[in-house]
Amino acid sequence: MPPKRLDQARPFLTLIVVILGWLIVPVVMKTFARASFFELQAPITVAASYARDLQDYWTLRLHSNDELIEAGRDLARLNATYEESVQQNANLEAEISRLEDLLKLPPYANYRSEYARVVRRDFSGWWQRLVIRKGKNYGITVGAPVIFSGGVVGRVSEVHAYTAEIELISSPGVRLAGVIEGETQPISFQGGINTTFDPPKGVIEFVPLNVFASATMPKKLVTSGLGGVFPPGLSLGTVTKVEPSADGLFKSGEVQLDPRLSSLTEVTVLVPLNPE
Amino acid sequence: MRRTFFTFLTLLVLWVVVVQVNHALAGTHVYLFVGGLFVAYAALQLPLRDGLAAVLLAGLLCDANVPVPFGLHTLLFAAAYAVISNLRDHVPRDETVARVIVALLANLAMFLVFSFALIGRGPVPAAVWPRLIFDLVCSQVFLALVAPWFFALQARTLVLARVERDTLA
Repeated sequence: MPPKRLDQARPFLTLIVVILGWLIVPVVMKTFARASFFELQAPITVAASYARDLQDYWTLRLHSNDELIEAGRDLARLNATYEESVQQNANLEAEISRLEDLLKLPPYANYRSEYARVVRRDFSGWWQRLVIRKGKNYGITVGAPVIFSGGVVGRVSEVHAYTAEIELISSPGVRLAGVIEGETQPISFQGGINTTFDPPKGVIEFVPLNVFASATMPKKLVTSGLGGVFPPGLSLGTVTKVEPSADGLFKSGEVQLDPRLSSLTEVTVLVPLNPE
Repeated sequence: MRRTFFTFLTLLVLWVVVVQVNHALAGTHVYLFVGGLFVAYAALQLPLRDGLAAVLLAGLLCDANVPVPFGLHTLLFAAAYAVISNLRDHVPRDETVARVIVALLANLAMFLVFSFALIGRGPVPAAVWPRLIFDLVCSQVFLALVAPWFFALQARTLVLARVERDTLA
């Protein structure tokens, strides 16, 4: 029988063995373990999302025929508007390509839109991300931009067999270049201030001194297109505050992001057609 | 081996429940962290090797699903497991209230370590603390509410799997 003192230290000796073991395990094995554990639980979360969809379906079945007819009429009106927009869009694209040929400009990056259902939302103070129901099986690539009707959602951070993870623009790890709508000077955007019950916020740095914005006179921040990941002109949020930074050379400020970011159910992944 | 497997299964159930609750709460920007609950029962009731193996597997499961350095949950769970195991002869571990208190304390410690490890990534770290404190309070309340059910689930699972006698549950 081991001495009592040694017996008491057993949990800590085991902990030391675990830590040493963890330190000497090769990175390849850790990467494999991570992927395996993710794929182990993926069917559970995907099944839960299908169950939610079914729940929504049965909720919708409770609507009366009158309500459905009314909704159908509204949709028909919307479809007519969109059909007109699609036609205009086709004309504009033809015009852009004609001008590109004429001026010998390099073409804009082309994307394929991949719509995906949100399987899981994580909105902690440490990170904000989504898991979507499409992955390698739909050709989703790491780094691909993700958008919704309100603008930029974030970018794909990891791709798995049937799912993909998206880091939201409100997440502290996301940095990208934006511009105030209608201007050309680039501004650095970073996510990261997310208080309870309030809409998500981000911060901007290196704002030129001639930019003014406040809660009463907000300005729209859009993607600049610099860096080549996000197409230019996508909405990031609304600049509600700018003030001179400590160095006096630039300003810094706050950007209010779309409040729907934390309750999205469907997003669009822009998969690059010609990834470099 | 059977004990480890069935304990891990119950931890997987807990993980699924917490993920679904967090999904539903995302719109309100509240996030629940219940790391203490993953460790408490195994550390208080199970033999060292079996309990630790189950807790390490649960740590790997949590690590694989969040954007943190791989191993952070695992090592944190292992450390909490070692501390609780060392103290388990000094607490009335057969009483649910004592188990819940141990889980709450472990959760508090892990939440703080987690926060200090990750908070530096944000642009204004100090501004995140009010949110984290609110999340911590919600997590502790949630943990206190579900812990008795979860401990009973773990105990009954081990009895049904015939790896524990009914008295131990």
